[in-house]
Amino acid sequence: MKTKLAMVIDSSTCIDCKGCMAACKVENKVPANYWRNWIKRQEADFTVMKKTAGNTAEHFQPGNCMHCDIPTCVQACPTGATYKDEKDGTVKVNEKLCIGCGSCIPACPYGARYRHPQKKIVDKCDFCEHRRDRGELPACVVTCPTKARVFGNIKDPDSDAARLLKQNKTTQVINTASNTEPNIYYLNATAPLDWPVKAKIPTPIQLWGKVAKPLIWALVGINALGVLAMLGKQFIIPDDDHQEKNQREDSNEEQNA
Amino acid sequence: MSLRVDKPISRRNFLKWTGAATAASVTTAQAPVLHALVPDKKDGAPTKIENRFSVCDMCLNKCGLIARVEDGLVTKLDPNPKFLKSRGMLCARGNAGIDQLYDPDRLKYPLLRTGKRGEGKWQRLSWDQALDHAAEKFMKIAEKYTRCGVLFTPGSDMQSTFVRWFAEVFGSYNVTTHESSCLLSRNRAYLDTFGEVPFSDILHTKYIIMAGANRFEALITPDSIDLMTAKKNGCKLVVLDPRYTKTAALADEWYAIRPGTDMAFFLALANVIISEKLYDEAYAADKLFGLDRLGDHVKQYSPEWAQGECEIPAAEIRRIARELSAAAPAAIVYPGRRTSDYVNSTQIRRAMAIVNGLLGNWDQPGGLLAARKVGLSGPELPDSPFYEDNPDDRADHGRAHMMFDEEGSIKHMRDAIIEQKPYPIKGWLAYKINPLQSVANRNKTLQMIDNLDFILTVDIAMSDTAWMSDLVLPAPSYLERQDPASGLQGSSACACVVTRDPVVPALFESKPVFWILKELAKRLDLAEYFDFTIEEYRKQQLENLSDGERALREDGVYYNPSKLYGVYEGLVYKTLSKKIELYNKRYDDMGVDPMPIYRAPRRKPSGKFRMVVGRNAYFTHCTSQNNALLHQFMPENTLWMNPNAAKRLGIRDGYKVEISSKAGKGTLKANLKEGIREDTVYMLSGFGVLSKGLTNIYGNGACMAEILEDYADEISGNMAMHETFVKVARKGA
Amino acid sequence: MKSRMLKRHSKLSIFLHWFNAASWMFLLATGIGLIKNPDLQPVGMWWTNLMWGLFGSGENLLMAHVTGGIVWAGVFLIYAIVGIKEVSQFFREIFSYSPIRDFMWLVKKGIQMTLGTRALEKLSAVLEKRGADPEIAAPRIPDQGFYNVGQKLFAVPSVLGGIVIAVSGIIMALSNVYFTNTGIVRWAILIHFVTVGLVFAGLLIHIYMASIAAGERPAFISMFTGSVPEDYAKHHHRLWYEEVKEQ
Repeated sequence: MKTKLAMVIDSSTCIDCKGCMAACKVENKVPANYWRNWIKRQEADFTVMKKTAGNTAEHFQPGNCMHCDIPTCVQACPTGATYKDEKDGTVKVNEKLCIGCGSCIPACPYGARYRHPQKKIVDKCDFCEHRRDRGELPACVVTCPTKARVFGNIKDPDSDAARLLKQNKTTQVINTASNTEPNIYYLNATAPLDWPVKAKIPTPIQLWGKVAKPLIWALVGINALGVLAMLGKQFIIPDDDHQEKNQREDSNEEQNA
Repeated sequence: MSLRVDKPISRRNFLKWTGAATAASVTTAQAPVLHALVPDKKDGAPTKIENRFSVCDMCLNKCGLIARVEDGLVTKLDPNPKFLKSRGMLCARGNAGIDQLYDPDRLKYPLLRTGKRGEGKWQRLSWDQALDHAAEKFMKIAEKYTRCGVLFTPGSDMQSTFVRWFAEVFGSYNVTTHESSCLLSRNRAYLDTFGEVPFSDILHTKYIIMAGANRFEALITPDSIDLMTAKKNGCKLVVLDPRYTKTAALADEWYAIRPGTDMAFFLALANVIISEKLYDEAYAADKLFGLDRLGDHVKQYSPEWAQGECEIPAAEIRRIARELSAAAPAAIVYPGRRTSDYVNSTQIRRAMAIVNGLLGNWDQPGGLLAARKVGLSGPELPDSPFYEDNPDDRADHGRAHMMFDEEGSIKHMRDAIIEQKPYPIKGWLAYKINPLQSVANRNKTLQMIDNLDFILTVDIAMSDTAWMSDLVLPAPSYLERQDPASGLQGSSACACVVTRDPVVPALFESKPVFWILKELAKRLDLAEYFDFTIEEYRKQQLENLSDGERALREDGVYYNPSKLYGVYEGLVYKTLSKKIELYNKRYDDMGVDPMPIYRAPRRKPSGKFRMVVGRNAYFTHCTSQNNALLHQFMPENTLWMNPNAAKRLGIRDGYKVEISSKAGKGTLKANLKEGIREDTVYMLSGFGVLSKGLTNIYGNGACMAEILEDYADEISGNMAMHETFVKVARKGA
Repeated sequence: MKSRMLKRHSKLSIFLHWFNAASWMFLLATGIGLIKNPDLQPVGMWWTNLMWGLFGSGENLLMAHVTGGIVWAGVFLIYAIVGIKEVSQFFREIFSYSPIRDFMWLVKKGIQMTLGTRALEKLSAVLEKRGADPEIAAPRIPDQGFYNVGQKLFAVPSVLGGIVIAVSGIIMALSNVYFTNTGIVRWAILIHFVTVGLVFAGLLIHIYMASIAAGERPAFISMFTGSVPEDYAKHHHRLWYEEVKEQ
């Protein structure tokens, strides 16, 4: 891949102003009470922190679809409506091909997807593709007061994102049971880290691959063997007796009639 | 609020033809499969995209923006990357401006009250009818009660200057603004210390103390952004707040200071700085007035003494004083913005200003900054008429030691109207201001309303104040307006000029207040005073800025590269002593403490809590709670309580509680937070509305204004909103 | 001996059969082509890529499949309403069984077609020795009606399966128009695939039996002409022949 679009985020500068969530909502007409992005909060532990003084113990972590390199959402999709676009590294949704089964939704460890209540197909962050087509950066990146989000092609060594990645230690937010190789990198440290869930491929899809497919193969195979046996009998060891038998029966009948 | 593309009817017919089952509900859905079977208008491809400049109005910061207009609809507001004051950003509120423009609850045409006040029964009027009616009412009041019989309350707006001008030519002295619920204590204190109200050079400072100010959360100002940058560059942030706000959460040190004792802390700082000679002696000799007197005065205010008052350990106070001084002059005690808290709020800020003075940070990099020259000219307006029968002074005159005449005191004005002393006020013109939600003691404001014959509100939504008015006139949002030029201070980043031109034409029958006032003026024989257009007015303002018009047109902003540091080089300060007044002689002459004398806050009765006030990042004061987008962040307000205090009252997280004070009561859900003192509670403003015209939030939460008792700062008349003690009781799970 | 021709299938039946066959082929090809997930694709990604290429894009392929599905289901739905009489008769036919006779037909026919007539006679001898009922023991293939049990046992899953496939298909097609509960849709996807697979398995036998197997020529031709020779009817569908031979 010559282009891999990703985000490098300095979550230590996030002040939870919700600007990125508002900008995304307006830009992408996200329906009320659904969100394409989020800010996770690591609350202060007051039992640890003395009430008078103590270092910063609260942390805000902006995030959105991680456009993973091993996307479990793609693994759950039967029609290929969601796919990893090799051209720019983003995970896309082809709205015309999505049949709205929602299998991809629990398959995302980050809960990045939701089923659009009006369109009834899946929706998620697309790094503001229509803005990029116009030469603009994603809405969340542009609007942020502290410019916590840096967006770019991390395969281009001259991009800000690539340079930040090279010069700094980064952390990714990963559920160890479902390491999807996300493409949001948090500078230095970030919190909370334990919130992504294990990717859940819905039961019908799992059954399809693990049970139904082999079962159908077996069934088709048995029937095919049966057909082959009959074919073999018919053409390799032909049974002319059939016609004789019929003729015998006919003559029997004629005799009996 | 999302904008939907029209669906072609033919899809429905298609489904009928094929007899597909359950096709009944294909009304608002977009079915890509079936959709593509039917020849359709190309999905979402607009025919015309235009980008237009404006400046945001969702709070008072006026961040530059670029509005994207597709086929005549505003689809996105993006930050103007050239706008240095905002550091090229647009916060959540800024983005939600589209939902103000397309708010289904927007006022659409003039409304005249038909039922009782507050019943919500309205009759639609034409503009002519409405303006005739208003003019008639105002004239009646003027004839019976003099011109000062009408109160004018302009909100924070680029057209408010015209409301002031109208009041002036109409002849009323009684103009009060939002500032007497907000900034006045700070302004008074710093004006009387430095000779002007400073800005902070947060970007370059190395140590900053924020007492009560919640810069990372309550309004995203340039200071908010600079503070984060400064932090990244090693600046230390110390926060004093009874509540663990987001600013406290991101600070290096947070102290849950006992509310109302900030003065003790800062006087103790002064004590250490002076006794340990941590100040620059040469500077002090040159620039400070009254250092010796101050030194004697603060001897009694040791850190050990202060610990007993504010509950911050003496050792920490001492250490902070030393660290602060070591970082000086790039060290700041943050002046803050809203300082409407205690009856001695001005003196509290005097103590803070005095510490700033000792740090030697005035007019220095990383310190407090003088206003930078912007360069706008005052347009030529005719001399306003004089009305013989007018009383001598404003109605709220004399109730506070040193009130700002241009801002007044809403608390004192309200008392004057209720008492009808010194003279009756019977009319009220409110523009873009909502005292029923913003001013303490809502029931008293309702009482004030009962004393008024005619209330005219100009607003964009049916706020509580509009709801209780007699005539409501619809104003357009900022995206539909042409405004005069306005000068902005961007601290170290810039000094600039902004203006507005309509991004889209005004919706419904909304009219800007300038037009309303012009029309009223015509009907009141005052047409000659409004005989200009905004364009002409603006042209005069920009007279001396040769590049002004071009810059505004092409960049959306004009920058004046005026001096940043050393503005007073070679000049004296605008005080009596011409120096920084640690000791204020004028106060002394007026019988006010020339140096702050510590007074403990009123003792909290046992079993009760002190209510403190604060804002958050999604709502601006008590507006925008009803905004369709912002509402999704917080549909109702809750009462912050410490879990230990709650436990003693049998209250669990999420329980409904009733809070009550001498002023009123309300019901809302409890939100148990360790990050608030056991003796303190907090709730956000703007909920518990009276107005049924705010459909998203009507019925949600409780009204802070209802519960706050009304006190005022003795010196400035600023509202004192942290003096209320409340009772909290469980109302069932 | 020249036999007279007996009318067996109406023009409508013939049309519906070939319409069904063609629709099935089309829907099978496009449907399997829609499976873009390698874990789920039973044939191999080459088929998906081929179909995507043929139709230009995945969404075009989906469009074609759904259109075809709607047309296929729609035609049969209309037929079920309009031709309710023939349909009921058909259903009665394929759901009526004589368990012992039909079971023996399956066994004997099966042996005959795989091991030959001689094997069948050997079986008969064994059964006679064991003292089985003469009717059962005889090497003769038991009589059958309009449809032999083999045909019935394919018709039943075809029809029921077809209904399940149509309903689950409609659920999927309407998923982004109507449904809020995606659980139904996901199960519909699985059921759709499994049912198609089951019917397809039977389809292999059907195609062989109906067109390739020895002695089936007349039956195959009747799916075009509508008629079968008398002696074919006598041997293969004796019970039906007895009913209609007077006419």
